[in-house]
Amino acid sequence: MLDRRCRSRRSLPPLCPASREMSQKSERRGIHVDQSELLCKKGCGYYGNAAWQGLCSKCWREEYQRARQKQIQEDWVLAEKLQREEEAAYASSQGVQQPQPSLAPFSKFEEKKTNEKTRKVTTVKKFFSPSSRTAPKKAPSERVEKVSGVRERHGETLLRDLRGMFAQPWEMVAPTEESHEGKTPSPSISRQSSIETDRVSRDFVDFLKNLQKPGREIHKQCRAFIESMANKKDLGADEQSECVQDFYQNMSDRLMTHFKGSSERVERVMDQVEKYIMTRLYKNVFCPETTDDEKKDLATQNRIRALHWVTIQMLCVPVDEEIPEVSDNVVKAITDVIEMDSKRVPRDKLACITRCSKHIFNAIKITKKEPASADDFLPTLIYIVLKANPPRLQSNIQYITRFCNPSRLMTGEDGYYFTNLCCAVAFIEKLDAQSLNLSPEDFERYMSGQASPRRQEPQAWPQAGPSSSPGLSQVYQSLDLLAGLGARQERVLEGARTLESDLISWQESVEREVQEILEKYPLEIRRPASAIDSDNVENDRLPPPLQPQVFAG
Amino acid sequence: MAERRGKGAGEARSDPRGKSGMLRVKMVLLGSSGVGKSSLALRFSKDDFKDSAPTVGCAYLTQLVCLHDATLRFEIWDTAGQEKYHSVTPLYYRGAQAALIVYDISNRESFMRAQLWLKELEKQYVPGETVVGLVANKSDLSSSRQVSLQEGRSLAENKGLLFMETSAKSGNQVSELLLDIAHRVKLSSREDKGLAEWREADCVDMHREGRPRPLSSCCLTIGL
Repeated sequence: MLDRRCRSRRSLPPLCPASREMSQKSERRGIHVDQSELLCKKGCGYYGNAAWQGLCSKCWREEYQRARQKQIQEDWVLAEKLQREEEAAYASSQGVQQPQPSLAPFSKFEEKKTNEKTRKVTTVKKFFSPSSRTAPKKAPSERVEKVSGVRERHGETLLRDLRGMFAQPWEMVAPTEESHEGKTPSPSISRQSSIETDRVSRDFVDFLKNLQKPGREIHKQCRAFIESMANKKDLGADEQSECVQDFYQNMSDRLMTHFKGSSERVERVMDQVEKYIMTRLYKNVFCPETTDDEKKDLATQNRIRALHWVTIQMLCVPVDEEIPEVSDNVVKAITDVIEMDSKRVPRDKLACITRCSKHIFNAIKITKKEPASADDFLPTLIYIVLKANPPRLQSNIQYITRFCNPSRLMTGEDGYYFTNLCCAVAFIEKLDAQSLNLSPEDFERYMSGQASPRRQEPQAWPQAGPSSSPGLSQVYQSLDLLAGLGARQERVLEGARTLESDLISWQESVEREVQEILEKYPLEIRRPASAIDSDNVENDRLPPPLQPQVFAG
Repeated sequence: MAERRGKGAGEARSDPRGKSGMLRVKMVLLGSSGVGKSSLALRFSKDDFKDSAPTVGCAYLTQLVCLHDATLRFEIWDTAGQEKYHSVTPLYYRGAQAALIVYDISNRESFMRAQLWLKELEKQYVPGETVVGLVANKSDLSSSRQVSLQEGRSLAENKGLLFMETSAKSGNQVSELLLDIAHRVKLSSREDKGLAEWREADCVDMHREGRPRPLSSCCLTIGL
């Protein structure tokens, strides 16, 4: 034994004092430990440590670095992919101009996209900077117990990294979540959603505490279910939906017997169960790759974009947006229906639709001064969906259909509004000239972008009024200015053209006059005198030319 | 998902058993635009019982109906009657226990359209499972009547439907209509294995006969 200790001291300088202490402790207590159990599992001959999963410090560090490197690489790939996707979506949403009557919803959507983008970027940054710098340095040299201090210092991100390394030495609220999250191949996504997930699981535990023993049972079942779902990632969406619905069913049956038929209490517990489960499952089951949800999303989005020219009048929407209160409600309705995408629990998504619908009812009621009927409501909802172009609309509808408590979809107020939304989407998909009271030719021209219904009624521009956005009125002003400029340019061109023709005619008239004059006074060229003096009559009277005289000098 | 609805219905079964045998009844109003569906819905919810919440819209309303041995909670779903929305309407009546087809006695066209609605509905429901009623509304406009009482009644009798001439304006026969439906819904639930099993049986049959995946199949047909 002594000799082994000496060896360990001599040959394992990087081994931390704690492990030495440990081996000493085991000696003192006289617990017999086989030598082979103490050696590094890699078989390098050095002693291992339980805290390093039975590896020696060197092997552990190697192993750790490799895992880290791999994770970092994976994260990079993922981050790049997300970035690309974001950019593509951003570009395509920017690419198509939307001369809609109001630009407010569109800009809001953009804003949301940008927010999402920046959020993602910061998450990625957050993940890279603290964890990759600090973790490899500290983790191997520090005792597990000390890491809890690190946790406070470096927060959630680091905690999660370390959690994957160590075998969960501390108890969190829901241990399942850790093991579940550890398994997911996309750490940055799980990190991004982790704060909300943690909050929801805390709330869930708090809620179950009131139920005492059955609460523990419920929690256990939910955890087991989530774990089992993690293994079913490759299943089709319908099978997953079935699993979840089965679970709801079994759970509510058990609760029913427990609460002796008090459906209200069962419902309350089931709501919490749904919230907890779906928050966890969301990223795996929302718009899964096994379905063509994403393709449908894009198709619907493009379809709505192509229909940007549809006006309130065409849909016979009984809403007057010039009333500030009405346009306020319209904006709120648009915001709510867009917000649906940000919720994770089916019930929360439904609540967004219901809120949106309530705003629509308000808008109609203020306009018409009587309660809105379905005849008014559906067209208005269609109009709102067209204006909002809610992100991932089909995915959201599918997700709600698959994972919401079915009784809530078939009946109840939420169910009614959800059904209306489905109708609106179905209507938009098959919308044609007839449904907008247009001729097929007009419809085709508007759809292909060759014409816009707005162009033909320019008197509609000044009607924008104070209710529409300032940007829009500016657009109208610019359009007016442009129209004025066009007219002026036209006038200038016309002037230039008259000037040109004037010049041409002037030139012609000048030429003509010259011609006339020329004809009138033809040029007669007389023969010039052959000698200067030939016809000089008076030459004779001139004295004879002087003769040179010689003077004798 | 086909199985899911059966199971889901089992879960929903908890509702009727909850408050001493209260049944939740989803009732859909169908009919052309302007025949008075919404007014009828408003009448239903206001007549005997006071609705505490102020009505913002009358597209979705609820009403309790007390029979001597049970209480029914009607959820009244109004639908858009414009012809262009006809194709999406089937989404509304999946899972409905009662459907009312409404026409205007002073408008021949609406009666013809009611027959179209009926045909459409017949594709979706199983007789005896869904209570279907034919409602001749605007009986206060009998001076300009275009559809005789006999015509409506014989159509209803042919198809085995409940028939009632009402006036949403005056409230004539409206509460009678609702009570009548309540009795029939109760009765159709009795014909099954009893109150508890009723919903399950109803829903299972509904989708076996109709559309196995209510939403996705609708989206598919309409997506063309």
